[in-house]
Amino acid sequence: MSFIPFAHALASRQDLPVPAWLFAWAASIVLIVSFFALSAAWREPKFEDERRRPLRASLPHALLSLPAQALCGTIGVFLLGFAIYAGLSGTEAPDRNFALTFLFVTCWLGFPFFSAIFGDLFRPFNPWRAIGRAVGAGFEAIAGEPPAHLQYPEWLGRWPAAIGLLAVVWLEVIYGGGAGVAVGLSPEPVAIAALLYSAYTLAMMAAFGVETWCERGEVFSVYFGMFGRLGVFGSDDSGRVVRRRPFSAATSWAVVPGSAAVVLASIASTSFDGAKDGAYQAPIEKVTGWFAEAGTSLAAVRATDTIFMLLTFAGVGLIYLLGVRGMRTVPGAPSFAKLRIGFAHTLIPIALAYLVAHYFSLFVFQEQAQFTYLLSDPLGTASTDLFGTASGGIDFRLLSANAIWYVQVGALVVGHVLGLTLAHDRALVYWPDYRDASRSQYWMLAVMVAFTCFGLYLLSVSNG
Amino acid sequence: MTLPLAHVGHYLWVLYLLPILFVVIGIVKTTLSERRRKDED
Repeated sequence: MSFIPFAHALASRQDLPVPAWLFAWAASIVLIVSFFALSAAWREPKFEDERRRPLRASLPHALLSLPAQALCGTIGVFLLGFAIYAGLSGTEAPDRNFALTFLFVTCWLGFPFFSAIFGDLFRPFNPWRAIGRAVGAGFEAIAGEPPAHLQYPEWLGRWPAAIGLLAVVWLEVIYGGGAGVAVGLSPEPVAIAALLYSAYTLAMMAAFGVETWCERGEVFSVYFGMFGRLGVFGSDDSGRVVRRRPFSAATSWAVVPGSAAVVLASIASTSFDGAKDGAYQAPIEKVTGWFAEAGTSLAAVRATDTIFMLLTFAGVGLIYLLGVRGMRTVPGAPSFAKLRIGFAHTLIPIALAYLVAHYFSLFVFQEQAQFTYLLSDPLGTASTDLFGTASGGIDFRLLSANAIWYVQVGALVVGHVLGLTLAHDRALVYWPDYRDASRSQYWMLAVMVAFTCFGLYLLSVSNG
Repeated sequence: MTLPLAHVGHYLWVLYLLPILFVVIGIVKTTLSERRRKDED
């Protein structure tokens, strides 16, 4: 997140009791101990049944009523429209304009963080879904029948969302990043990108149907919805709010083709953003130098960054596929394709852990701006003080460097132990004998240890 | 605490790689010994 003074760099230097790399060793030991504990004590799959229980209170039902849905949708449309307006009409200073912080911090980080606890919070506020549903209802009222849609190609699955996810990160981190070159992401291109994305999304909704596109191709619905599967609240087929076993809804998420690509893209893009100015800096500068001889320096930086982001995506995907390949060596294993799809959901807690580890400090710091001066002076022109908080600021002493590091380590360890637990639980479905199931998870343990150590290495370098 | 590892410089990543190597070696050894035991049976 390069447009804002990066939170990691602003805190004071760490003073850890032991070297950072020892945390990687300790985290690995925690994972190994968790693996053996799961092998010994967890002998029946527990997450396959969501154990849905409808909530009896009237408030949850009121939240799903049509007027409440219309209100939430209207709020979503208004906020998107306002962010676009602020981007087009407000100041060019990225840290003073409402648009960037709102879109790339409050929404892009806030929805995953809170959806992972409470369930998919984006769905009711999704502005494109709200517009699509309103237009569909209007069409039906006039034509007397619901609009006809094309059949969505099954093989395409969630691939449009996976590619779109990489494109969003590319816009923010690479187009707006430009290491060593003074570009930075300004609000206007983000507003234009939001307008173009809105047109594309509404066209796809018209072609394939609102809910189908939200489930498969709409980047933000798929991405935030993925984390929402970890949360405790959801809705059933009859539209009632239900409470479910935490993490259990994730087990049915990856059946759609391309789902693994979405979660891998999330891990890879977060890794790349963390490594760009840290672990990758030297090789990126080297390759940029080669490109710069052939063209402009800005294009060289962007081309190099794009290559490194795609390589990270390929590397993260390869580690996962090696883990899946390892499972095939255990007798009675299902096909490679089935295993690849069947274990993709186990990466969701890891994607969340990477997100928390890399961005939680940015979120804590930048939300202070969001709810003080960006709220009162959203255009950043110093001409308004809507709530009397325009003179507010960010208190960077709120988190010390050590506190940030401990949250990062904690998030990575908890996320990977959860991933290991989900993988063990799924293995018990494919291998009814718990000993075979445990044996199949040797390689997933290696995957989890690899992701943990890689994540801590990236953080230790970027924390510097 | 800072250990005298300044001379390690750019090779500090090796210290992060070692736990992964230990786990992978452990898995390979276990898999091979299990296979050997099965062949003997």
